[in-house]
Amino acid sequence: MPPSRLALLGLFLAAATSGPLAGQALTPQDSARHALNRLAYGPRPGEVGRVAAMGVMHWIDQQLDPTRLPDKVLAVREREFRILSTDDAELAQMVREQRQERIRRQQERDSGMMMMGPGSQGDPTGERLRIAAQLQQLAVVRAVLSERQLQEVMSDFWLNHFNVYWAKGADRFYMASYVEQVIRPRALGKFEDLLVATAQSPAMLFYLDNWESVAPGAVPLAVARGFAPDSMRRRLPTGPNENYARELLELHTLGVDGGYTQQDVIQVARVLTGWSIARPAQGGHFQFNEWAHDYGAKTVRGIYFPAGHGMDEGLRLLHLLAMDPATMRHVSHQLCARFVTDDPPDGCVDDAVKAWRATNGDMREVVRAIFRSPDFWAARTFRAKVKTPLEFVVSAVRAVGGDPDSTLRLAQVVTLLGQPLYLEPSPAGYPESQDEWVNSGALLHRMNAAVALAAGRLPGVSVALDGLVPRSADADSLIDAVDARLLGGGLLTAHTRDVLHQQLRDITNPTAARTLTVGLALGGPEFQRQ
Amino acid sequence: MAVSRRVFVKTGGLALFSLGMDPLFLGRAAYSLPLPRSAATAQPVLVCLFMRGAVDGLNVIVPHGDPLYYSERPRIAVPKADLVDLDGHFGLHPRLAALKPLWDNKSLAAVHAIGSPESTRSHFDAQDYMESGTPGVKATNDGWVNRWCQHDVDHASTPFRAVAFGPQLPRTLAGTAPTLAIDDLQAFGLRIPQARVRDRLTRAFESLYEGAQTGLLATSGHESFEAIRMLQQADPLQYQPANDARYPRGVLGRSLLQIAQLIKANVGMRIAFLDATGWDTHINQGSSEGQLAGLLDELGAALVAFNTDLGERMRDVVLLTMSEFGRAVQENGNSGTDHGHGTAMLVLGGPVNGGRVLGRWPTLDLAARFEGRDLAVTTDFRDLFGEILARHLGATDLSAVFPGHPLTSANFLGAIRG
Repeated sequence: MPPSRLALLGLFLAAATSGPLAGQALTPQDSARHALNRLAYGPRPGEVGRVAAMGVMHWIDQQLDPTRLPDKVLAVREREFRILSTDDAELAQMVREQRQERIRRQQERDSGMMMMGPGSQGDPTGERLRIAAQLQQLAVVRAVLSERQLQEVMSDFWLNHFNVYWAKGADRFYMASYVEQVIRPRALGKFEDLLVATAQSPAMLFYLDNWESVAPGAVPLAVARGFAPDSMRRRLPTGPNENYARELLELHTLGVDGGYTQQDVIQVARVLTGWSIARPAQGGHFQFNEWAHDYGAKTVRGIYFPAGHGMDEGLRLLHLLAMDPATMRHVSHQLCARFVTDDPPDGCVDDAVKAWRATNGDMREVVRAIFRSPDFWAARTFRAKVKTPLEFVVSAVRAVGGDPDSTLRLAQVVTLLGQPLYLEPSPAGYPESQDEWVNSGALLHRMNAAVALAAGRLPGVSVALDGLVPRSADADSLIDAVDARLLGGGLLTAHTRDVLHQQLRDITNPTAARTLTVGLALGGPEFQRQ
Repeated sequence: MAVSRRVFVKTGGLALFSLGMDPLFLGRAAYSLPLPRSAATAQPVLVCLFMRGAVDGLNVIVPHGDPLYYSERPRIAVPKADLVDLDGHFGLHPRLAALKPLWDNKSLAAVHAIGSPESTRSHFDAQDYMESGTPGVKATNDGWVNRWCQHDVDHASTPFRAVAFGPQLPRTLAGTAPTLAIDDLQAFGLRIPQARVRDRLTRAFESLYEGAQTGLLATSGHESFEAIRMLQQADPLQYQPANDARYPRGVLGRSLLQIAQLIKANVGMRIAFLDATGWDTHINQGSSEGQLAGLLDELGAALVAFNTDLGERMRDVVLLTMSEFGRAVQENGNSGTDHGHGTAMLVLGGPVNGGRVLGRWPTLDLAARFEGRDLAVTTDFRDLFGEILARHLGATDLSAVFPGHPLTSANFLGAIRG
C-alpha cells in the first residue's frame, strides 16, 4: 500500500470529528472493532485486542485471501451436515417422497375451514423443512465459527443480491447446490463469473421462470415437463417469459434507474430463451434447448444482436451487462450500503467503481477499495448501521464465545427475529437498511434472545460464560468484565453503566446478577449497532 | 437519521401491572379493568391488506360480459358457468363465493381498473410507490399511513394507532410518527415466567433504550414498552373468535384474527396493516381451479371469518385490499400472466357503499388498453385511499398524506357512505 495512502488513513484513524466517537481519538481498538463488525460477524472474546495488535489492515488483507486461512474447527463441524454430501438428484428424490407423504396426510385431515392454500405461508411440515433447515443452520454455524469471516459475509451478500426463494417448487432441492457450488466459490471472484453462474443455475432458472421461457410457437423434442405446482394442468409453454429478464436488469445488474425500457426486457427475454434445465423434477443440470431458442435478430438498449445466434448471444449479453457502468455503480452502491452506511456517500462508491474498472470486476479488489476508502474509516461510519437479525444473533453468539450445535434451533431464532434464511420471496432479497429491521416487535424479540443467551438457555447454542465473566454480585467487576471481555472494550456508555448499576443494586445472587448484566448488554441499543 | 420523540398522551390509569402466574402477559385477568377513554364510543378502524405480487384483478372480479376476456385467455379465463355473477357484467371468482352474502347485504364493494399513474411494471418500484403514496417519486422516506398519523389530531395518540402484523415494519408505516410492528400478539413482551423478574428487566431495558440516544432505536424501543403497558391494561382474555368464526390456517388467518382481537381490545388502533403474498402468477395460474384459486380460497375464508368475528363492530371497520398493479389482459406462454397495470381492489365493512363495482370500466378493447396490453387505470389509488381516510377516519388534510395529488370529494368514487 503506497505510503501516502497509509498516511491518509492514519489521519482518519487518528481523529474522529463526528458520530458516536466525536472528539475522541480513534484507537487501534476502535478500528479493529469496526473492521470486525463490518467484515466479520462481530468480535469473539479477545479478538479486538488480537486484531489491533496485528494491525487492522493486515487482518483485512488476510480476510481478503481466505484460502490461505486455515479453518479447521469449521471443517470438522461441516462433516455433521449431510446436505453437503447430497446431490441435487438425491435431494429431488427426498423432496418428492416428502411431498407424497404430505399429500397423504393432508387428505386425512379434516378439510372444513382448515385449509392450507398453495400461497399460504403457514408452517410447512417439519419434514419438508428439514433440508432447508440444514442449509439455514449451516449458514449460521459457518457465520459463527468460520475464520474466513469476510467470505461468509460476501456469500451472504451475494445470496441476497442473487436471491432465490427456497420454498418455490424445484428450488427446494436446488438451493443447496446453488449456495455451495454457484455462489460460495465465487464470492470474492469476478462479478461476470457470478452473473453467468447464476444465469445458468437451475435454482435461478426455476425461481424466475426462465427455464420455461421459449420462442413463440417453439415445440420441444421430448416432453420435459418438470415441476408444475398444479398437477392438473399439463400444458406446454408457448412463449417467452419476462420474469428473469426483468430482474436480471433491475436487480442483478443495471439497477432500476440503469437505463432500460420494457422493450429491452422483452428483447432480453428473447435472448435468453432456451436457457433451461434438463429433467428438473429429477434435479437435472443446466441445459440449453436449441428448439426453444429465438434465433431472430434483436436489439437490446440500442445494441444489435444479429440473427442466427444461440447460447453465445446470451453470454454476450451477460458480458455486456457485467461491464456496464450502470452495473458497476449499482452493485458498488449495494456493497457500500452493506459495508459503510445504509445510504453510502459517493466517495466509497466511486472508489469501488474505479477498482471495478481497473480489474474488470474483480470483487476482491472492489471490496478492498471500499475498505481502504476514507468513507469506510470515517467516524460517522462507526456503529452507524443496525444489525440484521442474522448479524445480531451471530454476533451475540460470537461475543459470548458460544458454540452452536447442528440442530436447526439456532437458525429458528434467526427466523423468529424476522429473517428466515433463504426464504425471502422477493427477488430483491432481504433489505439492508435499518428502517426495515428496527421496529418494536423485532426489538422485543432481540431482547428476549439476549436474555436467554445470557442465561445459557438460547436454543441451539451452548455457552460457557464462567471463563469470561465470572458470576459475581459485585456490580463494578461484572460490568467491567462484560465490557472488556464480551464487547471488546469501551462500548458501554455512561448511561448504560448507570442503568446497570441501578439494576444490580439489590441483587445478591451472583448468577442472577451476571445474567442480568450480560442480557442487558446484549439486548440493549449499543449491541444492536455495528 | 434524527427522529424526534413524541410525547404520548397517556390515558388515565396506565400503570405497570404485575403479571401474575401466567407465562404470557396476555393471560387471564379481569375484563372489568377500567379501559381507555377510546372504548366509550366505538372508533373507526381501517385494515389494509396488501396483496403482494400483483394480483390478477381480471380473474378476481371477472368481466364476463366482455368477450375479449375469453378470447384473450383461452386457457385461464374463468368459465361463465363457474362464476358467481355480481351485476350481469362482472362476476366473482368461484373461490370467493363466500363473499357473495356480503355483496348482497351491501357491505362489500369492488373497485376495478384502479392503480397507479406510474407505468412501472417492477414489483419493487410499484409496491414502493403504493406504500409511499407518492408514485413516481423515489425520494419519499415515509409511507402514507405514517403521514396520516403525523397529521391526525382526531384520535388519541397511542402506540397502537397504526399497527402492522409481520416481522418487518412495512414501508407504508415507516416514518417519523411512531408505529408498531407485531408479529405475534400473544408473545409481545419479554418472555420470562417470573413476573417480578420480567417487570424488572422490562423496566431496565426501557431505561437503556431511553438513554441519551436519539434515532430509530430509541423511538422503537420506547414504543415497545409503551405498547406492553397498554396491552397489559387492556388485557383481553385468551382470545376466542366470536360468532363461531373460523379463520383459515396460515399467516393470513392468524394476522386477521389478531387484528380482530386488537380491535376489540380497544387500545386505540386506527389503522392495521397486513400482507398476503404469492399473487405473482406468472406460470400456470389456473382458472376456476389452480394456483390463484387456492389463494383466493384462503383470502375469502379469512375475510369472512374476520367479518363474522367482529360482528356488530364491523359497523365501524373498513377492510381494503390493495396490490401494486394487475396483470396483462392476454395470458402468456406459460398459462400465466405477466405484469400488467390496472387491478381490482375490494372494500369491505359497515361504512362501505357495497353491492357494486366502482370506478369507470375502460373495457378490454385493444385501443383502451394501457400500452396496448394491460387493463387501463381509470382511478388513481390515492383517490380511493384518500376517500377512506377522509370519510371513514375523518382526515382533513389529505394534501399532507398524498403530496402533489390534490384531492377533494369530487375525486371520490363513493366507496364510503357519506
